[in-house]
Amino acid sequence: MLSPAHPVSDYRTLVRQAKRLDTSACTRTVRVALLGDFATQQLATILPVVFAARGVRVELHEAEYDTIELEVFNPESPLYAFDPQIIVLVNATQRLRERYYQFGADKAGFVDATLQGLARVWDAIEARTSATILQSNFVLPQERLFGNYDHKVPESLYAAVQAINVGIAHSAQSRINLLVNDLEAVASDIGRRHWYDDRLWVLAKSLCALDHLPAVAQNIAQICDSRLGAGIKCIVLDLDETLWGGVIGDDGVDGIRLGHAGDGEAFWSFQCYLRELNRRGILLAVCSKNQHDNAIRPFREHPEMVLKEQDIAVFVANWNNKADNIRHIRETLNIGLDSMVFFDDNPFERNLVRELLPGITVPELPEDPSNYVRYIASLNLFETATYTELDRKRTEIYRQAAHRETERAQYSSIDDYLQSMEMKAVLARFDPPHLPRIAQLIQRSNQFNLTTRRHSEAECAEMMRDTEHFAPLWISLSDKHGDHGLILIAIVALRPDEVEIDTFLMSCRVLQRGVEQLAMNAIFDLARARGAKRVLGRFLPTAKNAMVRGFYAGFGFRAVEQAEDGSSLWEMTPSDYVPRTTRITVVQPEAGQ
Amino acid sequence: MLESEIRAKLTVLFRDVFDDDTLQIRDDMTAKDVEEWDSLTHINLIVAAEGEFGVSFTTKEVQSLRNVGEFIALIAKKAA
Repeated sequence: MLSPAHPVSDYRTLVRQAKRLDTSACTRTVRVALLGDFATQQLATILPVVFAARGVRVELHEAEYDTIELEVFNPESPLYAFDPQIIVLVNATQRLRERYYQFGADKAGFVDATLQGLARVWDAIEARTSATILQSNFVLPQERLFGNYDHKVPESLYAAVQAINVGIAHSAQSRINLLVNDLEAVASDIGRRHWYDDRLWVLAKSLCALDHLPAVAQNIAQICDSRLGAGIKCIVLDLDETLWGGVIGDDGVDGIRLGHAGDGEAFWSFQCYLRELNRRGILLAVCSKNQHDNAIRPFREHPEMVLKEQDIAVFVANWNNKADNIRHIRETLNIGLDSMVFFDDNPFERNLVRELLPGITVPELPEDPSNYVRYIASLNLFETATYTELDRKRTEIYRQAAHRETERAQYSSIDDYLQSMEMKAVLARFDPPHLPRIAQLIQRSNQFNLTTRRHSEAECAEMMRDTEHFAPLWISLSDKHGDHGLILIAIVALRPDEVEIDTFLMSCRVLQRGVEQLAMNAIFDLARARGAKRVLGRFLPTAKNAMVRGFYAGFGFRAVEQAEDGSSLWEMTPSDYVPRTTRITVVQPEAGQ
Repeated sequence: MLESEIRAKLTVLFRDVFDDDTLQIRDDMTAKDVEEWDSLTHINLIVAAEGEFGVSFTTKEVQSLRNVGEFIALIAKKAA
C-alpha cells in the first residue's frame, strides 16, 4: 500500500530517521494515542516519521505494554489526560490465540465473548471522549485445525477470527466514531507467511516481522490523514493509451482498442473501475492533447465505452500544456491540487505535471494496461473517513454548476441573475440524519473555513444535544437547476452575555450566492434574542483559507486582537449589525429530510 | 565468510542500530556496554543481522547470546 506521494522506507531507515525527525515543514498536527496488546514500541518509534512524510506532526501517547483495558476503564488514566483526537487500538492475533486456548474445551461462545470485550472498550471510550477510535481487525492465523474444513466449524480459531472481523465491521457501521484499521488486508497483501514472525512474538511480543511494520504505520497514517480531511476528490485522466488503446486522432472510433478483444479488455476493465470510483463520489476529469471533436467521439459513439460524457465533470481536450489545463480543471471545480490525482501513460506528461504542479499526486502507471487497476488500488489513494448520500450525486452537482456558469454570462447584473436562480434554503439546528454530512463537510472544507476546527461526528452529536452551550446550524441550498445539499455550517458557542462563532465554513460551490449573509443574519437574530452584548468571531489562518481573511471585516466586525501568526479575533455589538439582503427564500425542511 | 569481514559489516550495523558513528565492537562487549542496547534494539540488531548476512537465528540462539564475540561466531557458523 505504498503511495508514491508518500513512499514508505524500510523499517531500519525509519528508525534512523525517527532519531532526528524534523517536523518544522508539517502544516497539520494530530494527537494520537496508541494502545496495543503487544509490544508497541517498535511501531511507536516509526509512526511519527510516517506521519511527517504526509505533512502531519503527530503528538503521540503510547500506553504501557498491554494496558488497553486499564487505560480505557480508568477515568483518571493517562489516556484521557492526554485528550487524544484519535485512539488507535491494535490487537494481535497472537494474543487472541492465547485467549482462545484458555477459553476451555467448548469454544462456542468465543466469538461473542471477544466482540463483547471489544464493545466494552469502545463504550468506555465513547462515554469519556469524543475521540475517533481506530480499531484494528485480526490477521487470520496461519494454522487451520481442520484444514479447509475449518470453514464448516465455527469454533475453529480460523473461522472465529473471520467472524470477529465481520463483527468489528458491523459495529463500525453503526458506531459513528469507530473506524476500522484493516490489518488483515495489510497482512494478506504481504502474505501471512511473511507477516508473522513467531520468534519475535516469543522474544519480544512484536506484532509482525519488522519488515512489515512500515506498512502498518502507513495504513494507520492514511486513515488518520483522511480523518483530518485529506483525500482525493478528483481523478484527471489522459485518453489515448490510458482510457483506450491507440490514438483516437489517427485510428478513429473504429480503430481504437477497447472492449472484449485483445488488450482492449484491459482498458474496458480500467474504465469499469473508474466508473465505480465515480459512483462512490470521486470526480472524473479529462485532460487530453487532442482535438476536442475527436476526443469526445468515443464517449458518444463507441459501443464498448464504459464512461459516458455525463460521467466527466470537466472535459478538456486541446493542444495546450497539461499543467495549464489541470490548473483550469482545478479552478473550474474549485478544489485543491492536493485533492487531485493524474493518470497518464506518458512519462513526459507525468513529469511535467509533477514538476509544475506541486501537491498533485501523479503515480507511475505500469506499462501493461491490464495492471492499471491493481497498481492504482495498491496505492490506496482513495481512503476516506466518511461516505454520504451526497457522494453519489457529486458529478451531477458539479455539472449543474457548469450550467449555472454558462447562464450567468447572460444576465447583466449579478442581482438579476441570482433572482432568476429561484434559490431556496433550509436553515436548521444539527440533527441526527445530517450528522454524517456535517462531519464530512467539517473535515473537507479548507478554503471558506474561518477556523478549520475538525470536529468529529461524535463531537457534532454532542453539540447537537447541548442546547445550553451551542447553537450548531446547517444550511442547505437548492435552485432551479438542482440541489446543492448541505453546504454551510455555523457553530455558535453560547455564553451568558456573549456568543462566539466557533466554526463558520461553506462549500466553495456556492460562493457569492448570499448564503453566508443568510447565515450571519441568523447568528445575529440569535444573539439579539439571547440579549447577548457582543458577537465574537475568530480567523485562524491556514495554508488554504486566505479567501476568508477579510470575512469579519466585510460584515463590519471590529478587530480586537491581531496575533503575529495571522490569527485574529473580531467583535460586534448586535445592535450595530445591518441585516444583509439576499435573493434566497428560506423554506421549511421537507418531511423526511 | 571471513571473520574480519563479518566484524567489519557488523560494525556498520551496530553503528546504524545504535546511532553512533564512533562505536567500536569488541568480543567481550555486552548490552551493558552500550547505552541504547535494550530488549527492543536487541531485536532490531538481530533482524538487521539476519538481513545483512542472509541467515536466520533460532529463538534459543537469540536468547543465549552473551556477548559480541559469540554473535560473530554464530554468524560465522551460519553463514559458512
